[in-house]
Amino acid sequence: MEYVGFMDIAAAAVRIAIPLLFAALGALVSERAGTFAVGIEGMMLAGAFGGAIAVLMTTSLLIGLVVAAASGAVVGGTVGIATAKFRADQMVTGLAVNILVLGLTSFLLRALFGGRAPVIRLATLGTWPIPFLADLPILGPILFRQPGLVYVGLLLTALLSVFLAKTRTGLMLRAVGDGPEAAFAVGADPGMVRIAATVVGGALAGLGGAVLSLQEVGTFTDGMTNGRGFIALAAIIIGRWTPFGVLSGCLLFGAVTALELRAQAWGLPLSSYVIQMLPYIAALVLLAGIGRSARMPAAIGIPFVRH
Amino acid sequence: MRAAGPNAALGEAGFTWLSLKSGLGARRDNGLFSFLLVCIAVVAALTVTGLLILAVGKSPMAAYSALVRGVFGTTARFAFALNKSTPYILAGVGVALCFRAKLINIGAEGQIAVGGIAATWIGLNLEAAPSALIIAMALAAGAAGGAAWSALAAIIWLKRHVHEVLCTLLLNFVGVLLVSEALHGEMGEPGAGFPQSALLGRSAWLPRLLPGTDLHLGFLMAVLAVIGGYLLLWRTTFGFRLRLLGASRRAATYAGIAEPRCALAVMTLAGALAGLAGAIEVLGVHYRLIEGFSAGFGFNAVAVALIASINPIGVLPAGLFFGCLEAGALAMQRELGVPSSLVFVIQGLTMVLVLCVMGLSPRGRRV
Repeated sequence: MEYVGFMDIAAAAVRIAIPLLFAALGALVSERAGTFAVGIEGMMLAGAFGGAIAVLMTTSLLIGLVVAAASGAVVGGTVGIATAKFRADQMVTGLAVNILVLGLTSFLLRALFGGRAPVIRLATLGTWPIPFLADLPILGPILFRQPGLVYVGLLLTALLSVFLAKTRTGLMLRAVGDGPEAAFAVGADPGMVRIAATVVGGALAGLGGAVLSLQEVGTFTDGMTNGRGFIALAAIIIGRWTPFGVLSGCLLFGAVTALELRAQAWGLPLSSYVIQMLPYIAALVLLAGIGRSARMPAAIGIPFVRH
Repeated sequence: MRAAGPNAALGEAGFTWLSLKSGLGARRDNGLFSFLLVCIAVVAALTVTGLLILAVGKSPMAAYSALVRGVFGTTARFAFALNKSTPYILAGVGVALCFRAKLINIGAEGQIAVGGIAATWIGLNLEAAPSALIIAMALAAGAAGGAAWSALAAIIWLKRHVHEVLCTLLLNFVGVLLVSEALHGEMGEPGAGFPQSALLGRSAWLPRLLPGTDLHLGFLMAVLAVIGGYLLLWRTTFGFRLRLLGASRRAATYAGIAEPRCALAVMTLAGALAGLAGAIEVLGVHYRLIEGFSAGFGFNAVAVALIASINPIGVLPAGLFFGCLEAGALAMQRELGVPSSLVFVIQGLTMVLVLCVMGLSPRGRRV
């Protein structure tokens, strides 16, 4: 493989990984506080929808991002309240919310535009090369000649890492995920912490959806997240519930997808459908290879009940 | 990494005979009550959805009456709704049995897809045989295909400890893409313009139950599956093992029940039912394999099983409800231009509400 081809694929891998990264970081926040993030797909889809519609109506990217985060946060809050306050099963609640958002976005898309799904065409965000860094050999073209939200995603990974490891709030969040009884004993309200974590997680996943609709594709179509939320969940397990681990997991899936997009151009003797299966098969193989993970938050999935 | 139950919440050590008993015996004492709760959840979901319809400037009453007419307006329409319910009921019984053992199997979509491929292959390659033989073979192949796909997920879960939700889910994407691969490969009809197989010979079509309507034999099989599932759960040792596993893993292990063997068996059974549903879609509805024919069926099966309060007998009304809802929503869209995607909103809302109610009731948290 020649040098230019490799750089091209590596840069594409980073770009493709970013929507996944936002969603996976959001799911990470939720799961570290003890709530399975199966609804992340729905939160992403809500963000993709909210972002696209807001930009279509206001042409302001900033408003688009805010609306996307808010849409995801509302869905996250729904999951948080249902699971923490009503002790609803986390897995199935997540699935239910995914269906709900799929229906709601599809309905609103038609309802807002008089009964027919409109053809939305938004200009996708261009690249923002960072001065000096963009001229670095190898790293420059891969990391520093990217659209703006790529940098935001990478920065967020570092910030979240510091937040979880070094701050009091981060410690409390992890404590609620590992042992809510102990956290309760020292004065935390595990239910509220979990709800807050799903809201923040939903907002991040919503941004991930906006990255997809505003930066990658430039439109919104029904169910456009197409399983990316579930791939993000796989990335968390592969990344052992740490922000930088999650980043590498997402980059891995980005690389598989980038290769998938180019495999046909190289004339590989595989049909496009077999190639489309690759990320899912890769996820299964990687997860199976990792096996049982001891790093999962200890109290995840278990509702906190005050005795 | 398993869904929490009453005992998990207490710490597995804290299980009591009482909690065990309530988990196992929640059949008659709970039935009417949970039916009422589900009805309330459905009414609440329909109300919220009605407000949505109102918000877009349409009349909810007109929309819902169009929906009801779409289901009960004519015999043919009702037959169509029953056909729509068939895959949800079949796959729902399997998912409900899995739920009972606290296994979340959301792989019905992929299992239906693989079942459909297998049935089509038999239907296309066995044209000369007598009709009954072709149909029996194709249904069996569908069930076997679905069972194999489900067993694959179960084995990855049991051997490599990948959560069953992720295993079944990721295999859904692969299963659905397998249909596309088959249809763009040797199974596809050349020059059809749409990814589909050639039309099956008439001898492979499922017989109709009611002359003059589309109602096919598959619906009867779905009803039988409900009865079979009920008897299996409440009248056999295997059913008892499933219930015990669901009530307490610890108690089940203490009683000498091999969890992996039981889990593999129930997952395979659920896959076989889903695969059968896929075969019925091919032989009874489309008469060919069509790209995307299984879309959304997996989640619907989960919703049906959940709303059935995880009891196979409840799957019949729950599946009929979803089938009718979908058939009616298509009519609603035709008549009033209200998007049929509202069905997903109703489904999702009902599920969330049912989950909240089940979570709050002390003995109900059995998923």
